[in-house]
Amino acid sequence: MSPDTLKYVVVPLIQIVVVLNVMLLAVAYLVLLERKVIAFMQVRLGPRRVGPRGLLQPIADILKLFIKEDITPARADRMVFFLAPVMIVVPAVAAFAVIPFSGKPFTVFGTEVPPWITDVNVGLLYLLAITSLGVYGVVMAGWASNSKYPLLGSLRSAAQMVSYEVPLGLSVVSILILSGTASMVKIVEAQAAQGVWFLFWRPYPQVVGLFLYFVSALAETNRAPFDLPEAETELVAGFHTEYSGMRFALFFLAEYMNMILAGCIVTILFLGGWLPVTFGVLPAGPLSTFLFGATLTGLFWFLLKVFLVLYAYLWIRATFPRYRYDQLMRLGWKWLIPLALLHVVITAIAALPRG
Amino acid sequence: MFGSTEMEINLGPQHPSTHGVLRLVLKLDGERILDVKPVVGYLHRGCEKLGEDRSYPQAIVYTDRMDYVAAFSENLVYVETIERLLGVEVPPRAQYMRVVLAELQRIASHLLWLGTHALDIGAMSVFLYCFREREQILDLFEAYCGARLTYNGVRIGGMPEDFPEGWADEARRFCDVFPSRLDEYHKLLTTNRIWLARTEGIGVLAGDVALDYGVSGPCLRASGVDYDIRRAIPYSAYPELEFDVPLGSKGDTYDRYLVRMEEMRQSRRIVLQALAKLPDGEIRGKVPRRIRPPKGELYHCNEGPRGELGVYMVSDGTETAYRCRFRSPCFVNLQALPELSRGHLVADIVALIGTIDIVLGCVDR
Amino acid sequence: MSTVSRPSLSLFRQLLPVELAIGLWVTLKNQFRPHVTQEYPKERPELRPRFRGVPRLRDHPDVEGPLCVACNMCADACPDRCITVVAQPRAVGKGKAPKLFLIDYEKCCLCGLCVDPCPTKPITAIYMSHDFELAKQRRYEFMTEMTGLYEGHERTDYEK
Repeated sequence: MSPDTLKYVVVPLIQIVVVLNVMLLAVAYLVLLERKVIAFMQVRLGPRRVGPRGLLQPIADILKLFIKEDITPARADRMVFFLAPVMIVVPAVAAFAVIPFSGKPFTVFGTEVPPWITDVNVGLLYLLAITSLGVYGVVMAGWASNSKYPLLGSLRSAAQMVSYEVPLGLSVVSILILSGTASMVKIVEAQAAQGVWFLFWRPYPQVVGLFLYFVSALAETNRAPFDLPEAETELVAGFHTEYSGMRFALFFLAEYMNMILAGCIVTILFLGGWLPVTFGVLPAGPLSTFLFGATLTGLFWFLLKVFLVLYAYLWIRATFPRYRYDQLMRLGWKWLIPLALLHVVITAIAALPRG
Repeated sequence: MFGSTEMEINLGPQHPSTHGVLRLVLKLDGERILDVKPVVGYLHRGCEKLGEDRSYPQAIVYTDRMDYVAAFSENLVYVETIERLLGVEVPPRAQYMRVVLAELQRIASHLLWLGTHALDIGAMSVFLYCFREREQILDLFEAYCGARLTYNGVRIGGMPEDFPEGWADEARRFCDVFPSRLDEYHKLLTTNRIWLARTEGIGVLAGDVALDYGVSGPCLRASGVDYDIRRAIPYSAYPELEFDVPLGSKGDTYDRYLVRMEEMRQSRRIVLQALAKLPDGEIRGKVPRRIRPPKGELYHCNEGPRGELGVYMVSDGTETAYRCRFRSPCFVNLQALPELSRGHLVADIVALIGTIDIVLGCVDR
Repeated sequence: MSTVSRPSLSLFRQLLPVELAIGLWVTLKNQFRPHVTQEYPKERPELRPRFRGVPRLRDHPDVEGPLCVACNMCADACPDRCITVVAQPRAVGKGKAPKLFLIDYEKCCLCGLCVDPCPTKPITAIYMSHDFELAKQRRYEFMTEMTGLYEGHERTDYEK
């Protein structure tokens, strides 16, 4: 086997398998984490009976969804009905191809394996494009159900996702200005080079950028307080009403996968990726090599930060009421987009001295 | 959307946010509500008819089950009507005990309202916090009369038993903790911009329109009309107690929320006062063994947590009432729902059902 | 009477999400408070002394036999008419004793009105016990006659 085949075919294949499996498990346990964390915030316990302290609950949930009857509505468009969950899950999973989980490549059996599947130099653009494809799946799901309410729900979801793409993109533009590159790996390396996370960047810390991205990500993934299209107490049912069993599980999988993806992107763009938590000030020299030299320590810091972002997602869900749909759209168009534009302009001005 | 612009949808009896089995037929124009028609009766159990076959003390159990969230107030108004028909005097200690329990019941009922209202609008945690407080009140009731929901805690002429040992201290401990919890709910909701966006300006009910519909209770007071039966037609030990009656100004959902929150605070004040002023003495007045009120009819009402809870009793001199009609506040307040919801969006319906605070047991009897 | 004040916020607080942060802090604080869940059936509730479970009978403290004198007052008072009493002369001592004492637990609404008129003093023959876990497999099993009306029955095990 030539070193080229090894480097460009075998290693990525193995990486894909590993990342896919880990992500699926992570999504399942994220569901449990959500239930437990929200329960603790509500002074109660979450699931406790299945497994020790409830740890096998996701397995039970998955089994249940597997063995449910697979109903397809009579008049539904079979092809579209089949494809819709696929069109939602695939972009979510495919986006993980450009996420770097750590900084330093490690060697295995003589081959150097980087802790990312691939590093294209337009990684950020790729991410934005791929996540936008998820809207197709939502619209297809609503259409294929051949029922008034899922269709309305899916159109609302789609409109919500599309309108919040704009502030999302603009907050990412400010990061592009600061780092000068669209490659995910190089963005973190730019933060290391400048010695500070972009969140604490001087003279203009990207707090507003983080806020914008986070709020837009909440709206993109249909999470509280923007989850009206899929809330249980509302009249117009969500786009996934007609789905049951494994297909329904795929929608949920996609939602939580998007959550994790948003957490990863926030960490990389604003929180320094795999860089250690030293409050924005990175030491130089041998200490820095120790702190973020090894792959595992980088992975540890990355996971810690992603966990914190996900915790914030759950925290917000437990606390705030829901916005009504028109208030949601008004917030996106009238408040977030002007704020995002202003933010980009200020970032650009602040970045002038650096050239 | 597909041709015609008007559609009629059914917000069916089984729905997570209708607080029971309420059916609403909504007439929509796109997303705007043109008309709402509540269809009630899914929980009708014929309590009043069944009560006609039971003697006066036996029929108390039906009052428990009508408004099951504020059972004590129902018990109280029923028993007070019989006492007035009989001409029985209730000893002062029993009167004060009734006030303490009635106000605790008001707090419990408002906590349930707050929890479910917030849950419908999306704030899940407030629901659990309110129920944590409500558990303490239900524990107090359990210590007093043995049940947590269907109390049967009043007898004709007085009370069944005195407070157990240490009950007053436990009640005071609850009252000490409660203001900080109320502040927590305020921090979570009152100035929250999402809450404000969902409740401000929604469901405005003008004062005169409210009076026309016969609305009573916090819904009426939030529209600016100062009518509280504890002040207007005082009963029990209320004339001797000091408390404020909160009033709203705009009559929207937010005002109703603020009025009920303030009412909880005032109820706590009443409980502490009544516990301090609790006189000694007996707890049951002189009542004949077989209750046979003289022939006559009487209407008596009191201020339940949801509004004017009234009993119209017609006695024919025998041991069972000829007719006992309950004026249920929820049934009358529900009439105002179409008025409240005209012109709003479909997504506001859950907020509006929550804000008029209905309990289907009370509506349907 | 007092008019509730609608809070007015300064421009600063309107622009910045200060109150959202305060709300988040409340939820975070509550995360570290002890939970209120009672894991039934592992943890059983602590019932208050006056808790009203199902009505049960008591035996006479001195003489052999039930304390009940079969006066029928409880059956009269019951709103659900779930008590049936048939009297017979007492075997030992004066007065009557119940030949048949039947309570239909399916109808009983646990109101406690049967305890009030019971004439035996100082402790009543019929009392509200602390039993509330009475699931049965068949409807007729709820008709409980005298042998089933005393406490000390095997508690149904809900663990399985």
